[in-house]
Amino acid sequence: MNCVIRRQVLYWVRYIHVKEALRMKYLIANSTAEVLEFLKEAGGTASILAGGTDLILDIESGKKKADTLVDVTRIPELKKIEEVDGFLEIGAAATLTEIQKNPLVRKYFPSLAKGCKTVGSSLIQNVATLAGNVITAQPAADAGMALSVLDPRFVLVDEEGTRECGVDEMYAGFGVSTLDSGRTLMTKIKIPLPNKNEAASFQRLELRKSLSLPMLNVAAMASIKDGKFEWVRLRMAPVGKGPVRAAEAEEWLVGKEVSAETFKKAGELALENANPRSNPLRGSKEYRESTLPVMVRRALLEIATQLNVMEG
Amino acid sequence: MKERLVTTVNGRRIERYVDPSMRLVDFLRDELLLTGTKIGCKQGECGACTIIMNGTAVLSCIMPVMKAMDAEILTIEGLEKDGTLHPIQDEFIKGGAIQCGFCTPGFIMGTKALLDENPSPTSEEVREELSGHICRCTGYKKIEEAVLKAAERLREEKDD
Repeated sequence: MNCVIRRQVLYWVRYIHVKEALRMKYLIANSTAEVLEFLKEAGGTASILAGGTDLILDIESGKKKADTLVDVTRIPELKKIEEVDGFLEIGAAATLTEIQKNPLVRKYFPSLAKGCKTVGSSLIQNVATLAGNVITAQPAADAGMALSVLDPRFVLVDEEGTRECGVDEMYAGFGVSTLDSGRTLMTKIKIPLPNKNEAASFQRLELRKSLSLPMLNVAAMASIKDGKFEWVRLRMAPVGKGPVRAAEAEEWLVGKEVSAETFKKAGELALENANPRSNPLRGSKEYRESTLPVMVRRALLEIATQLNVMEG
Repeated sequence: MKERLVTTVNGRRIERYVDPSMRLVDFLRDELLLTGTKIGCKQGECGACTIIMNGTAVLSCIMPVMKAMDAEILTIEGLEKDGTLHPIQDEFIKGGAIQCGFCTPGFIMGTKALLDENPSPTSEEVREELSGHICRCTGYKKIEEAVLKAAERLREEKDD
């Protein structure tokens, strides 16, 4: 008897599951206006889909819910990468491959190209987007990390209009964005073009070169004048929520001479803001605490090398 | 709710009503019976399901079927011509770059996309471009050699 009931229950569970799957709608938007229209119609139960390399798996595992997917990858305006009024503008549907191969990105922000090139594998990069890398808000996201120190502004559009957001306003928690993909569309990412005395770097510690999440990654951007740091933006992950600012090190570095000693001290100070945990995939807390200062040193050295202040 | 899908697979125009929650790999295998494309991890981590969509190598296992709308898709079945294997397939066989064969369709499609874009890749570029494919038998060396041989042959054929 028990067996019969169990079978009946299993049947219903399966029936409901299949029903639910069949309820999913897939809409291909041709313009930003159409995206907003589709999102409004769904009343918050839809989700914007770009590359989908994380979203599809998250929906299947039940981590995320959406009964309508709005594909934004065919909106021409969202695919553009161009220089506009002192900014590099990257459309939210541009893939990581398109970004890393783009001559403007390579010219102005080689560290961003490097970050995009380390996400998953080239097969992932062929469909995944930089906007998606930020919105999935995984603390290990390499492209989002490389981007985070470039002072990016995220252009968001919803029913109420258009607004711009900075890095710290984007991350709500581990894997949680402040952006509600059921209501808001990111259209592009604007990055101010660097001055001659500014450069950026992205460093990564990993087990293998491909298909492996970083044990640590560090991104930095700095302005150097007369052999001294004018300002430094330094972020590290995954040591907390999103790209974590090494605020102590940033403040201390201002006005300091560009030297190996300075890099070393900055590396030590970075630990003040980092809380790396032991993780079977990423290594022990002790190991990650000993290697983080090295990554910071490498990042700063690379910047100094790019600006011809020091030899690499 | 089923959605109308119009796509081109291996040169054949296809129109079907599909469940949009389906992955592209399941559509290819279960609906079109093109079982040459393999499912390894179904997580986007092994490369076995690689196909070419609009000239780019992509993972069909983490791709919603509707992404194929109006696209040109090429699977391993579309490579041979009139019973003759594609030079890449041929070189994989000749060079012993195949053992169990499960990863091979993915590797070959990845190679095709690579050589279409870059006909003369260096060993380094081959390794880098194919790093998203996992093979548990061959140890990769023979695969790399087969890719470089195929590249050479394709260049020669083009010159003729």
